Amino acid sequence: MATPVKMPRLGESVAEGTVGSWLKKEGDLVEKDESLAEIITDKINAELPSPVAGRLTKILVQADETVPVGADIALIEENVEATATPTPATSAPAASAPAPAPTPVGAASQQSAPSAPARPQGTTAMGNGRGAASSSVRSAPEQQGEEERQRISPLARRLAREHGIDLNDVAGTGLGGRVRRDDIMAYLANRQAAQPAQPVQVPAAVATAPVTTPQPAPTATPAVAPRASEFVTISQTPDEEVVEPSRMRLAIAEHMVRSKRTSPHATTVVEVDMTNIAKWLEKHKQEFKQREGYSISYVPFVMKAVCEGIRKFPLINSTWTPDNKIIIKKRINLGIAVATDVGLVVPTIYDADQYTLAGLAKQVNAVAQRARANKLTVQDMQNSTFVVNNPGTFGTIISVPIINQPHAGILSMDAVVKRPVVIEDDAIAVRSMMYLCLSFDHRILDGAQAGGFLQAVRNKLQSYGREIDVY
Amino acid sequence: MSAVTYLEAISQAIREEMRRDEAVFLLGEDVGTYGGAFKVSAGFLEEFGPERVIDTPMAEGAIIGSAVGAALMGMRPIAEMQFIDFITCGFDQIINMASKMYWRVGMPVPMVIRGPSGGGTKGGPFHSVSPEAWFFHTPGIKVVVPATAYDAKGLLKAAVRDNNPVLYLEHKLLYRMPELREELPGEDYTVPLGKAIVRREGQDMTILTYGAMVHQSLKAAQILEEEDDLAVEVVDLRSLTPLDRETILESVKHTNKVLIVHEDTLTGGIGAELAAILAEDLFEYLDGPISRVAAPDVAFPYAPPLEAAFLPNSEKIVAAARRLAAY
Repeated sequence: MATPVKMPRLGESVAEGTVGSWLKKEGDLVEKDESLAEIITDKINAELPSPVAGRLTKILVQADETVPVGADIALIEENVEATATPTPATSAPAASAPAPAPTPVGAASQQSAPSAPARPQGTTAMGNGRGAASSSVRSAPEQQGEEERQRISPLARRLAREHGIDLNDVAGTGLGGRVRRDDIMAYLANRQAAQPAQPVQVPAAVATAPVTTPQPAPTATPAVAPRASEFVTISQTPDEEVVEPSRMRLAIAEHMVRSKRTSPHATTVVEVDMTNIAKWLEKHKQEFKQREGYSISYVPFVMKAVCEGIRKFPLINSTWTPDNKIIIKKRINLGIAVATDVGLVVPTIYDADQYTLAGLAKQVNAVAQRARANKLTVQDMQNSTFVVNNPGTFGTIISVPIINQPHAGILSMDAVVKRPVVIEDDAIAVRSMMYLCLSFDHRILDGAQAGGFLQAVRNKLQSYGREIDVY
Repeated sequence: MSAVTYLEAISQAIREEMRRDEAVFLLGEDVGTYGGAFKVSAGFLEEFGPERVIDTPMAEGAIIGSAVGAALMGMRPIAEMQFIDFITCGFDQIINMASKMYWRVGMPVPMVIRGPSGGGTKGGPFHSVSPEAWFFHTPGIKVVVPATAYDAKGLLKAAVRDNNPVLYLEHKLLYRMPELREELPGEDYTVPLGKAIVRREGQDMTILTYGAMVHQSLKAAQILEEEDDLAVEVVDLRSLTPLDRETILESVKHTNKVLIVHEDTLTGGIGAELAAILAEDLFEYLDGPISRVAAPDVAFPYAPPLEAAFLPNSEKIVAAARRLAAY
């Protein structure tokens, strides 16, 4: 009995995954938890551990193919004994199984080439090549033949490939119906013009979701955003350069667009006096690092305060479901945004409220290191309930973050900078100040709760005295 | 400062270089007393004397061979071919001596061979040839082909100062063409070897050309703009060796269609090499076939109607450009 290997859910907002590469091939023996393949999503590149020990008998999804979460991507035969001895027997069916698929295509193209009908294809292709083809006899060989006979300039062929254009859809205006540069450009211009119609429909459906009938999970909505081919404007001028975004970049883009479309974002900001923490860090940072082997920064302090804020305002730690319910999460799993060479990832620190400041520092260091080494696990990428973002390391003073779906909010901590502030008795003092920016889903929260939460976070951060016990 | 012809620009270049550098001297048939068959060196004998303006026998092998020897000894000779057709008599000296010397013995051969080339003057088979392809094929010799008075002077000066043998091909039809008169800078200037120039910008098609055909191509581009609304870019190569690949590739990348125009005969001509470069480097940028307009593969005809039929001109260029545009 073969056990299917499924596309894992690498992060809860992730609907699909791509097989980056197979690390095992059909016929290989694998141990349980041994890496089978590299999986790429918007969040991470992770190695997929084998769910069972056995023989990888069938790869169902090839490298570079993208499938929905939960789809079977391979089969593992656990009862190796049965299949181990007659290796040729198992590999033979495995090899012959996919064979039928390619054969007809090849056969069709070979057949149709010599039997090219006398009908002038140029004009058919220009009108409605597809309709004409399917209405006549059979679509598959017909279309194959059509493509065979279509005249295309080398440039047009390349442009079509780069923009993901089916050349059957393009009317050629060159001699004999040849598709040329201008035809591709005209087609792209048309597609561009037609584009706005699509996005309008999709968001409309999503936007009505909360107030009307249940909608399918947001993950099921088609990705409106940035397919590589729609970054259009191919550059013909020397002062522009076309960059094909990486899969990760595309996935981030899709997520960002979807988040903005899904949640009505509102942002609110408080200013926090971090002077005592700053002084403590200044004094103890070095020694802490030497003692513990990892460093401590403002981040664990803010995370700790966030946990307290969430305890007081549990709604911050919730999610709006597609069928219009609010689910409050009891565990506080904080995602922490980490910039890596390839993009932004948000690994999870589970039960962040259970740790001391030092414990949080340790966790933050550990996930950040894994993220930068591209070693995050599937577990690292799942189940976060709220995100703390720290653009302050780049010197920013106010940021307006976008919610990591399906959370209710996201907190940005900006740079701690010294400012003259008015303190008690109207005196002016130099204090280490920081802005905390909370973007929240206005479906779930209103300004009162958001502000209350920020107050709680601020109070906690300002409650530290000169001596801080981080353990 | 008055506007000068293409011929006067050449004359100025030689005179100024001879004044600038004592190592520069002129030798050739009738260059002294007679002042050159086309009067390029009129007055030179008086100014520079018989040691620097040398009348030679009618022996191109001797002219070029002497120049090679002088260049090896540190001089910078300018050898004139009375008509470039007769360069074939000095072929051995160019191919086996001048172009290979640096590789053989490590000594530079700073010399210029120049002379009137090209047809359209009813000169017949021995006074009309465009010889560039023979030398274009040969490593070790530079080939330049000026199309304007400014370039004629600047390229010749650069050729004289270059440490390699340079074949400098003047087009005799351009010598006194009134439209080519232009005011040249008062100060010393050169036009770098190996740099093409875009004479006219456009995005629908590139014409790669040089020499007299630059003017036919510009005329054709004007007609195509007026009658066909086509924006044709005209690139004047100026130097054939070294070839300015960068300018060529950049232009064709931008226009995606290319027409190559030269007066020389078609087969194995400059256009063949350009086509090969474009096919190799820019195949997926091409929106139509690399096309050529050139003279047919026959000897240069003498009869005026045949000469007219033989030579490429703006009408032939327009017709080819229209075919390419429609492709």
